[in-house]
Amino acid sequence: MKAYLFSVLGAAALMSGCATETTRYGDARAVETMTNTFGSTDLQLMAESMARSMLQAPVIASANLPIVTVQEVRNKTSEYIDTRAITDSIRSELQKGGRVRFAVDAAGMKPQTEELNRQQSGLYAKDHSVDMGQMVGAQYRLEGNIMSIVKQVKEAKDVYYKLNLQLWNIRNGLLEWSDEKEIRKTTTRG
Amino acid sequence: MNPKGMIAAIAAAALVSGCATKKGFEQPGFAFGCPIGEAKVASMDDLVKAKVLAEGRRTTIQTTEMRCSKSGDLLRIDANLNNDSRSVKRVAYKFRWIDREGMRAWDEEPWKPLMLHENSNLVINTISPTNKAADFRLILRSEE
Repeated sequence: MKAYLFSVLGAAALMSGCATETTRYGDARAVETMTNTFGSTDLQLMAESMARSMLQAPVIASANLPIVTVQEVRNKTSEYIDTRAITDSIRSELQKGGRVRFAVDAAGMKPQTEELNRQQSGLYAKDHSVDMGQMVGAQYRLEGNIMSIVKQVKEAKDVYYKLNLQLWNIRNGLLEWSDEKEIRKTTTRG
Repeated sequence: MNPKGMIAAIAAAALVSGCATKKGFEQPGFAFGCPIGEAKVASMDDLVKAKVLAEGRRTTIQTTEMRCSKSGDLLRIDANLNNDSRSVKRVAYKFRWIDREGMRAWDEEPWKPLMLHENSNLVINTISPTNKAADFRLILRSEE
C-alpha cells in the first residue's frame, strides 16, 4: 500500500510539473508579431497615424472645436477586424488633444434617445432633466475603408493592409481631409 | 590702415561671423527649430544627443538629422534615420512628449516598427498630439 501511495503521489507531482502555466503582464504598447493577422500594433499604428494626420487638416487646425460624427469604417479585408476599435482609438486621441468635439453617432443614437425619453417620462423634476430638441448636429463626418491583399506561397505569407479615412463636410458635401496608412507584414517559415 | 578701411574690415568680420552662426536666426531656446531649453546645442550632433534616447536592445541605426517646425501651436518633427550597414535592420521608435514643467504631456506612445534597407536613409515624422507638448524625445530600440 505504501509503495502504491508513493507511486501515485510521484505521478501526481510529475503531472502537475508538466502542466506548469505562467501568466505575466506584458507591455500593451510593444510590437506584437505573434501572427501576421491584424493585431494590436496594427490597430495602434493606424489610429495614431490617422489622428495625428487629422490634427493637421485645415478644418481641425483652424476651426474652433469642429463637431465630428464617426461613421462606419468598412472592413474589406478577408479577416474579421473590429473597425470600431480603430475609430474609437482615433476619437479618444483627438478628444484628449482637445481639438475636436464628437456628436453622438448612429451607433450611440439609440441609448441617447432612450435616455432623453426616460428623462421626459415625468419621473424627473423639470429643472433636473434635459429638454428635447437640444442635441447638436455634427459639421463633419468621418468614414473610411480598410482593405488587405494577402499573398501566400509554401514558405511565406505576405499581408498588406491599407486604411483610408475621409472627413466629409456634411453641409456642402466637400471632402475636407483624407489620408491613408499602409502596413506590410511578412511571415516566413524555417 | 585708414579709419574708413578699419571700419569696413570690422563690419565685414562682424557680418561673416554673424552669417557663420546659426544662432542668429534661431529663437532663443531652439536649435534647428527644436526646443532645447537651457541645453547647449551648437551642432546637429549635439541636438541628436539631446533628443534621441535608446531603450531596450541597442540598435546600430543612427539618427543623423533632426528638424522641427511649428504647425499652428503644435510641434512638427522630422528625423532622418540612417542604416549604414550592409544588411536590413529592424527598429522600433516612439516619441515621448514633455510639457513646460518637464512632466509627461501625453501617454506613452506605442512602439512603431520600421524596416530600413541596407545603406539607406528613412525620414520619420510626427506632430505633437497636444499643444501642451513643449519638448520631446525620440526613443529607439532594436527589433532584431
